[in-house]
Amino acid sequence: MTPTHLPIPASLSRAAATSEQLVERLNALGGLEVRDGGATRGTVTVRTLGETLEAATHVVAGAPGARLADMFAGGSGPTGSGVSPGDRVSPRASRAADNGGDAPTLRLVWALESGYLLTETEIHGDRYPALSDIAPAAFVEECEIYEQFGIRPATGKPLNRLMLPPHAGPDFPRMGHRPARPPEEVHAPHTVGGQAFEFPFGPVRQVGVESLYYGLVTSGEEVVDVYLFTWHKHRGLEWRLRGTTPREGLFFAERAEGLSAVAVGWAVAAAAEAALGSTPPPAAARTRAVALELERLYNHAAAMAALCQATGLTVGQSAAEIALERLLRVNAASFGHRYLFGVIEPGGASRAPDAEVLRRDLPAAYGELRRAADALLSTNSFVDRLEACGILTAEQARRLGLVGPVARASGMATDSRLNAGGPPDGNPYAGHLVTAVTADGGDALARFQVMLGEAAESVRLIGEFLDAGTEAKSAPLPPGGGRGLGWAESSRGEVLAWVALDQDGRITRARLRPGSVRNWRGFDDACRSQNVFTDIPIIEASFWLTAAGLAR
Amino acid sequence: MNPGRDEAEAARRLRDTISTQFGRSLHIRTLDTGSCAVCEQEIRLLTAPHYDLHRLGFFFTPAPRHADLLLVTGPMIRAFDVAARKTYEAMPGPKVVVATGACALGGVYPKDPFVHGNAGEVLPVDVWIPGCPPSPLALLHGLGVAVGRRSWSPGRR
Amino acid sequence: MPLWFARGLRRGVVTTRYPARPDESAAWLPTPPAFRSRQLTRDVADRMVAVCPATALRRRDDTLIFDVGACTACGRCAETAPDAVAPSGEFELAATARSALIKEIPIRGGGR
Repeated sequence: MTPTHLPIPASLSRAAATSEQLVERLNALGGLEVRDGGATRGTVTVRTLGETLEAATHVVAGAPGARLADMFAGGSGPTGSGVSPGDRVSPRASRAADNGGDAPTLRLVWALESGYLLTETEIHGDRYPALSDIAPAAFVEECEIYEQFGIRPATGKPLNRLMLPPHAGPDFPRMGHRPARPPEEVHAPHTVGGQAFEFPFGPVRQVGVESLYYGLVTSGEEVVDVYLFTWHKHRGLEWRLRGTTPREGLFFAERAEGLSAVAVGWAVAAAAEAALGSTPPPAAARTRAVALELERLYNHAAAMAALCQATGLTVGQSAAEIALERLLRVNAASFGHRYLFGVIEPGGASRAPDAEVLRRDLPAAYGELRRAADALLSTNSFVDRLEACGILTAEQARRLGLVGPVARASGMATDSRLNAGGPPDGNPYAGHLVTAVTADGGDALARFQVMLGEAAESVRLIGEFLDAGTEAKSAPLPPGGGRGLGWAESSRGEVLAWVALDQDGRITRARLRPGSVRNWRGFDDACRSQNVFTDIPIIEASFWLTAAGLAR
Repeated sequence: MNPGRDEAEAARRLRDTISTQFGRSLHIRTLDTGSCAVCEQEIRLLTAPHYDLHRLGFFFTPAPRHADLLLVTGPMIRAFDVAARKTYEAMPGPKVVVATGACALGGVYPKDPFVHGNAGEVLPVDVWIPGCPPSPLALLHGLGVAVGRRSWSPGRR
Repeated sequence: MPLWFARGLRRGVVTTRYPARPDESAAWLPTPPAFRSRQLTRDVADRMVAVCPATALRRRDDTLIFDVGACTACGRCAETAPDAVAPSGEFELAATARSALIKEIPIRGGGR
């Protein structure tokens, strides 16, 4: 392919103005093609060659304010012999490849101060540059890509098994070609003086929590290392979405991480809308935002209850659970579902909140939350347990690409609701939300305080959105195909979704990246260093992630 | 394993046994075979003040050895089979299996290489609770059905 | 500690009386559909079958087969055929036999 320098199309001018400098520097490397054509609105997509990928990654990673938000590969080749994808997946899915060729396309999604930058590179052969040396946040994704597409970093460093179970043979469904060798599964060497004892924990754990399987390395009580296995909750959702329409796919996307149903659903719907050049009506966008803030509220209440349970404060737990139950009833009374399933639809929102009920019932429910939180912050035995527990420094948070309250409690001011990217009028938060809630210290107490600050903001935002008007309306999706990136800020952090649609409007590749995928990586780091066994439940509650969102 | 007529009869006799032998105390172990995490949240709320499972004589226990009832969520991911069987076999008889939620009842995921699609493919299910998710009230109703309480008279709308 | 004690006493009891008494919060729960036989035609049934994401609906000749166990109460069938579908209002659905959750609704709509 002859390298060409293309002028940046005018349709990109709003997004390009903020990342213009970066694109110019990428252009200077040569061998690049800036591609948009209206297909990925609000997101700048830059196609690089295999040879220039490493240099391009250095350029973007080094830019101030740039954060690696995701890395994934695009479909290529057959699904794997002898597998029937199931009744609901179109037979076309088994032959679909979003770039029409055999070579997988590696995509990196970079979050800039006000927009996203996507680099696309076709990978020929089974190696690509070792990007996690440049952006350590990419390690989990490298493992996932190897399992699904058989391509790996050029340095040949060992990769871990991630989503596919140990018994997954060569015929197990994958989105691309199976790897030549299974992953080596090597975990970080344990450097501790004296003996370290390693044992597996789970997946069946305490009552009423998700299955989670992790390896715990300890010397005495101190936690030396924690590493997660995720295959026991892997339902193959990205594989399953192929061949579905955005509407059909949304049903599964909501259930990828049900506690973030609104956020994941919104990200997927927005990705389809970006792919086809559609914008939801502003009143419908506000409806989505009301649902998203209600989701944030109940999740933070649930996290508070989990923190009380982890610290053994049963009375506080009951108080938090009363607040949680009241918030869930507000959801049911205003939107018809306790967990807000089925509110988002491609093009807009299928249900509008009952504004009268919401205005009447939300203040009392939030009041319960607030009073319980105030009492907790005055309870020394609670505060003492959270202080200095599970510390993540700002540097760790940045290096690992963390998102959400976990990142904000370590001082990173990243909140995708502030992202000015996207189509004009596409962001309902513009004008309503100006700054992110952050804290210092990066311990469990800081994360709890960020959650409380966000809860207060959520109530204010809901009031403002209701005043501005909410409706159940959808702009119909235009026919045809395309590719698009969508995002939403769940209670756990930024959710990203990317879809490629064929000419019939059916999904050929869907990427789901809930906040949990980023932040579980921080959980390992937070549990190490000066923490003991009994701190693990506290740290887990302060992160408030899900195994479902990680494993999908 | 699919519950047939014989098993339904055995389950009925089992429930009668439990009702008399265990009186008003039943211990529940939960089992997540791949849910989206929302069913678990509703289950956790059973011990919350609004629902208070304990007033009905039901308790949660982390130890399968102490459990009488297995409350199963999720579409039974195949990679979880061993853990599911081990948990079930660790429970001493008599025991009851309750599948809860549309995933565990076969509604969301079809049978494919990733999942069995419903809990009944791996465990002998005695009671099925529909919902997505089943609310705590629906769970309370289902648990009542599981122990076959004759005094159970839920109000109807 | 006295802080928590006093708060708890002030608020009072929030616990439901269910199952001894009905619980009014049940009124807002999403529930599976109830189908109106007389409003169903083969065409309406087929449209609902196509739109159900949980494969809870099937048609066999002039019978609509509805699997309550598979239903997620998403409401898409009601959206497709509002005259033929209404929320059942039932949330006490647990059954001891899986087959008891499969309902057969005759299709009796004019002109089939």
